[in-house]
Amino acid sequence: MSKNRAPRQGAVRNYDLRKRGVKIGYALMTLFCIAMALIALMPVIWVILSGFKELKEFNRGIKAADNHYYMHFFPQSFSLEGYLDTWNQMKYTRYYINSFIVVIGSVVCAVVFNGLMAYGLSRLRPRGWKVVYALIMATLMLPATTSVVPLFINITKIGLSGSFVPLWLIMGANAFYVVLFKNFYDAMPNSLLEAARLDGCNNWQLYFRIVLPLSMPINMVIVIYAVNAAWSDFLLPYLLLNNTKLETVMVRMFTYRTSDRVNNMDIIRAIVFAIIPPILLFVAFQRQITENVVSAGIKG
Amino acid sequence: MSEKSVAYRAARKARAARELGAWLVMLPGLVLFIFFLWEPLLEAIRLSLYEAKGMTLVRFVGLQNYVEVMRGPDFWPSVINTFKYLFWSLIIGFLLPIAMAIGIHESSWGKGIYRTSFYLPNIVPGLATVFLWRFLYRSDASGGLNMLLSAFGIAPQNWLNSAVTVIPMIVISMTWKGAGSTALLYLAGLQGISPELYEAAIIDGANVRQRIWNITLPQLYNLMRTLLILQVISVFQVLYEPLVMTNGGPNNASISMMQLVYRYAFDKFDYSKASAVSVIVAIALIALTLVYNKVNKEKDM
Repeated sequence: MSKNRAPRQGAVRNYDLRKRGVKIGYALMTLFCIAMALIALMPVIWVILSGFKELKEFNRGIKAADNHYYMHFFPQSFSLEGYLDTWNQMKYTRYYINSFIVVIGSVVCAVVFNGLMAYGLSRLRPRGWKVVYALIMATLMLPATTSVVPLFINITKIGLSGSFVPLWLIMGANAFYVVLFKNFYDAMPNSLLEAARLDGCNNWQLYFRIVLPLSMPINMVIVIYAVNAAWSDFLLPYLLLNNTKLETVMVRMFTYRTSDRVNNMDIIRAIVFAIIPPILLFVAFQRQITENVVSAGIKG
Repeated sequence: MSEKSVAYRAARKARAARELGAWLVMLPGLVLFIFFLWEPLLEAIRLSLYEAKGMTLVRFVGLQNYVEVMRGPDFWPSVINTFKYLFWSLIIGFLLPIAMAIGIHESSWGKGIYRTSFYLPNIVPGLATVFLWRFLYRSDASGGLNMLLSAFGIAPQNWLNSAVTVIPMIVISMTWKGAGSTALLYLAGLQGISPELYEAAIIDGANVRQRIWNITLPQLYNLMRTLLILQVISVFQVLYEPLVMTNGGPNNASISMMQLVYRYAFDKFDYSKASAVSVIVAIALIALTLVYNKVNKEKDM
């Protein structure tokens, strides 16, 4: 935040802080916030630091002068060797490439298909659109995991298991994204669309040339959501891609749940490999994420 | 034929073409929604009423799958546990984000730091969170929490091994991931409160506690109701935490209903029984949603 203090808009005003009771309460609140921030950050820092350790160091600690072993928060050395070893041995380059392919396809499908659907519901409104919208709203409340079994059966029956395609396409059917897009399109001024229509644009040209480029704020929100969702998803990817050489980072990680062939350090480093890309994304788009994404969520 | 009816017919034709064009735009999305969401939901109901061998339906058996599922040794523990998850998540996780949001809002310093760090756990992928917490809860000295305890000279604890505390422990890890993003939703709500309300209260001589109690919290009330039901719905589906952290143990003390679905489907490959359990979960969620909508309507009147 800036050095200048923002004017207080909340329940506590500067002159309240002259009272002793308020002062103590305010100090407690600050302590609470700092504690919460530490609790939020420490596990992530701990796992990244632990990834630098050697297996023995992680399991037993380091032998001190008194011949006892002591656990240390910081690793003995910050050499990247351990990380690189795990990366190469577990063939993480391949899983990263697979994950990126899944993410890119998913993002395109999430924006285009949900966007087109919302465009139809918001702007074109053919007879019966309300039925479709009601069905979409109903799906919003139902857990996707309910139908994972029949979905898996369907995909297998049409021969698309062991392929990225269903993972891309499924992101094109997201009720929450449709609602977010529709809210945005509902607020778009009509005049632009009418002008383009008079110029002879058909529905598709209107969407791809006018609506899509004019919706960058909401596109960004959906892209961020979709990147995170596609990167983190693992149940359907696991069912479709396990043992196919197309496994994603998360699918690989899920198999560590029961595997005996990996040691603690491999899993610790796998966790780090899984959280690095989202953290980089977060660092790059921190403001958009903590402000726009949240406000989009609240409207939707 | 009169001129009028020709014009009328042309207009009707144009209208029909427009309708068709609009449906064509929505067609790709519709196909995806049907294939990936709606058809599988109906299929789940059908599957639950049949006996199946692998992926092929053998014969219609009515509610037999439901009866057998309910007679299974894991069903009632999983139902009771799901309510325990719900209970603990409300105790641990409902008020915390509200306090965090008020904390950010009232701080004159560090707002950005709080906001960023509170939100960080939310971007850690769910599966990575679960594995990370499995390491934090490890029972020997290498576990993250035991490392912390040893700094205070306390012996290592067996965090996940007690039937009484295993669910609260799992809920703590869920709260770690979810509280920050919920707090930011409340923060957005707090920022929407008009400063004039506070000014009016100050003029009336209200102290800080009265202002929070009589203005801040009532203004957040609608948001609280919405987020409460969303929390209930998401906790009802808890699956990965017990699956990875405890595999439902110790002794079924943490198995959840969705985990039962997982076990039937992907350990025993009994897709019919898996569907039966997931239909039960879905019905419970629909019931909860309806109750919520009803309560909401009554309150709004």
